[in-house]
Amino acid sequence: MSLNRADVTAAMETALNKVLDRPVTGLSGQTRLFDDLHLDSTTMLEMLMELEDSLGLEVDPEELEADDFETVDTFTDFALAQLETRNAA
Amino acid sequence: MPQHPTLHSLLDETAAAHQDRCAMSTASDSITYKNLAQASRHAAHLLRAHGVQRGDRVVISSPDAITVAVAVHAASRAGAMFSVLHEDVRDSPLQHVLQDCEPAVIVTDDPGVSATAQAHDVQVLTSQELRHAPAPREGSHLPNPPLGVDGACLIYTSGTTSLPKAVVSTHQQVLFAAQAIQDCLAYRADDIVYSPLPLSFDYGLYQMFLTFLAGAQLRVGHVAEVGPPLLRALQDSKATVLAAVPSVSDRLAWLVRRAKNKPALRLLTNTGAALSEKTIADLREAIPTLRVQLMYGLTECKRATIMPPDGDLQRPGSSGKALPGTEVFTIDDDGKRLPAGEVGQFVVRGSHVMAGYWRRPEMTAERFHRRDGLFPELRTGDYGWMDDEGYLYFSGRRDDLYKERGFRVSATEVEAAARRVEGVDSAAVLPPGPKTGHTAVLAVVTELDGPEVLARMQGLIEDYKIPRRCVPVPHLPTNHNGKVDRQALTNLIHDPAHA
Repeated sequence: MSLNRADVTAAMETALNKVLDRPVTGLSGQTRLFDDLHLDSTTMLEMLMELEDSLGLEVDPEELEADDFETVDTFTDFALAQLETRNAA
Repeated sequence: MPQHPTLHSLLDETAAAHQDRCAMSTASDSITYKNLAQASRHAAHLLRAHGVQRGDRVVISSPDAITVAVAVHAASRAGAMFSVLHEDVRDSPLQHVLQDCEPAVIVTDDPGVSATAQAHDVQVLTSQELRHAPAPREGSHLPNPPLGVDGACLIYTSGTTSLPKAVVSTHQQVLFAAQAIQDCLAYRADDIVYSPLPLSFDYGLYQMFLTFLAGAQLRVGHVAEVGPPLLRALQDSKATVLAAVPSVSDRLAWLVRRAKNKPALRLLTNTGAALSEKTIADLREAIPTLRVQLMYGLTECKRATIMPPDGDLQRPGSSGKALPGTEVFTIDDDGKRLPAGEVGQFVVRGSHVMAGYWRRPEMTAERFHRRDGLFPELRTGDYGWMDDEGYLYFSGRRDDLYKERGFRVSATEVEAAARRVEGVDSAAVLPPGPKTGHTAVLAVVTELDGPEVLARMQGLIEDYKIPRRCVPVPHLPTNHNGKVDRQALTNLIHDPAHA
């Protein structure tokens, strides 16, 4: 099964609902994770852990860069690239 | 005469010894000791040109650690007291600070902060103006430099009931505290000290002074890199020391467990709250070179006690011994000194006890008590006991203590017991109050259900200390200091989903 951007966004919304304990809907590609959604370094990691479960993402902690966590778009790029590497392996 | 009478003389001496060594770096920038000393010298003349006189205040609101370092040392040279604010201090909290300390100048690039400052007739300098201030005329010296007994900084701390108040420290007090901490931690000249907290926290600010005492390099983390990218940031920066708080260590433990290459850390320090034993054990297992030093303190004296390296293995639950040349003991409610082993309020004495609260004489007299009307001793408001050998055991803040079923209970102690339950990741107690139905509520992050957690706590602490209600929650909301936000937690557990 290959996931597209919409799948990742939907999974992010579900994960953020849980992590932030408030409804998060209508994410756009430009939505900024720190400034707009007010994620902090703790909730950012919690979101990642949720997505590991829901998307089957398996991140390598040494590959994680600050730039990937800037916006919904940059994070989606990162998640899709990780999933692709994993499927290819 | 102390070795470094003022903050800027510490920088100047380190700069003389280590000219071109990197003093400080961020993800995108760095500065050498020589350049930092020079930039702050030029910036001091700029501050004086903007009317900043000895004894005035300079507020600094910048996310850029190097700008903060230049501004701090410029203020010191000009004899002004600096106060570093978190960038999130804006609007009415910022207005409170501006009205409270009436700064002559604020250093900021933030349009909102600038607008608030200008509305209060405070002059604004940008980070560019400050960092690239013109060189003064050859041979011109700033007249009227500060003494070691002059105020050096104001650190705003939030109270539980009142508006934030500033702890005032003199140069000597800051330098005594920093030197005593360095005597315990022994940072080395070849260390790269990673601070995940910005310099607006006193823990971050003191990392700068500790680093300068050692002639080492301070790497200040940005909020975006201390979450999931933390491991990568530690590796890329080649950090050898991590000045952590519990939430940072918990994240690092999760990250290193699944990483192939481990960071080359030799020392991890902890303050802010108790670090879970599980996190320490996980980190030790993953990073064999790592030694851990637990600490306890409060802004009013910066640091009260520090554990020897890995001292927690011999004395679990202790936060270490008083800093060299200082003492910590407990007193009862009448102020009488208690013997070892008895629970009371911690009192700290030594040259690191700060001057007091800015323009708060009553609060200062209460907290910075003077025995026999003369000799300062800090009444911390924290409770616990000292053992025969002078090791401190923290049991709770005064506002962490509550009464239930007639017993005095420490929320900190209950939380520690809950965290020892297998399967519990973190825990926080909401003391009894109108919003909790007048019974204590234990909130836990766990896969278990509430009653099971309570059942497994039996034997870990006295039965009467175990709360009657336990609510699993997805996470514990935290504030900027990484401490549990009890207000947000109260709202969270009253969410209908958890009722």
